[in-house]
Amino acid sequence: MTTILFIIFAGLAIGCAIAMVSQSNPLYSAISLIGVFIALASLYVTLAAPFIAAVQVIVYAGAIMVLVIFVIMLLNVEHSEPRRKRLKFLVPVAIGMAAILIAETAFILYSVQTSANRLPGNISDIGLTHSIGEGLFTRYLLPFEVTSVLLLMAIVGAMSLARRTTVLSATARVVPGAQVLAMDTVNPRAVGDHTAVETETTDEAAHLLGVDFQSDRSQEE
Amino acid sequence: MGPQLSWYLALSAILFTIGVVGVIIKRNVIAMFMCIELMLNAVNLTFVAFSSFFQDVTGQLFVFIVMTVAAAEAAVGLGIIITIFRNRESLDVDDASILKL
Repeated sequence: MTTILFIIFAGLAIGCAIAMVSQSNPLYSAISLIGVFIALASLYVTLAAPFIAAVQVIVYAGAIMVLVIFVIMLLNVEHSEPRRKRLKFLVPVAIGMAAILIAETAFILYSVQTSANRLPGNISDIGLTHSIGEGLFTRYLLPFEVTSVLLLMAIVGAMSLARRTTVLSATARVVPGAQVLAMDTVNPRAVGDHTAVETETTDEAAHLLGVDFQSDRSQEE
Repeated sequence: MGPQLSWYLALSAILFTIGVVGVIIKRNVIAMFMCIELMLNAVNLTFVAFSSFFQDVTGQLFVFIVMTVAAAEAAVGLGIIITIFRNRESLDVDDASILKL
């Protein structure tokens, strides 16, 4: 019975993984990757690890893949341009490296004799939430805390990376939006000029100041 | 006769290899990212298989930690991808081959 389940879910995992790599649309590969995660979660259940299976579905198929699909749809790149000539040689290189990896794995599997070759038949509490929590909070408390620090760093890093920074040049100190400002507030070089300046957009403000920030951007790039 | 340990290891190796091949042949940076996730999952399968066959809970604890690292990697990686897309209007890794924005 477990053998049949293993064959079904292993086939599902390998098929979805191959579909993921062969798809050109990133959205389809994301959905195939969810298939791989579900198949692996089912395999974890057959390996008597229900907690890890649940976490696999909730964290991987739930949280991480939702984030990935969100980014795919946010960026919404319609089609990829045809493959450049320069990268053609990478496909045979990839096939060769895959063959080497498979050969190495086969060599290890046939040369190393593992002592436990069969699932223990007796019922154990390995893999239940109780034993995992006990391990996490006693013997492996330090890795657990280090992981929490890592998550905090990831939150701060993601926020500071994805934040939109200003594109105006340093001389144009104008906040976008409708506002009325004196000229010497807007431009520090125009001292004593109290003419009212109204701006609606950043472009308009830049035009008023005589700063061409579009060309500033293109120069930066 | 149930499935043996080597079956799980072989499945894990196949999945890992597919992930490596994907990272090498894909040009879309999000697709490469998903291939890295696939490799992490292949390693997780190895951990869980060893943990179950040797009746030791340590492997499953490390799977837990690997999942946390994968979540952190997803957050930071997707932030980087969004920043690259904003600067270059492209998700092709060849367009981001120099370390200068």
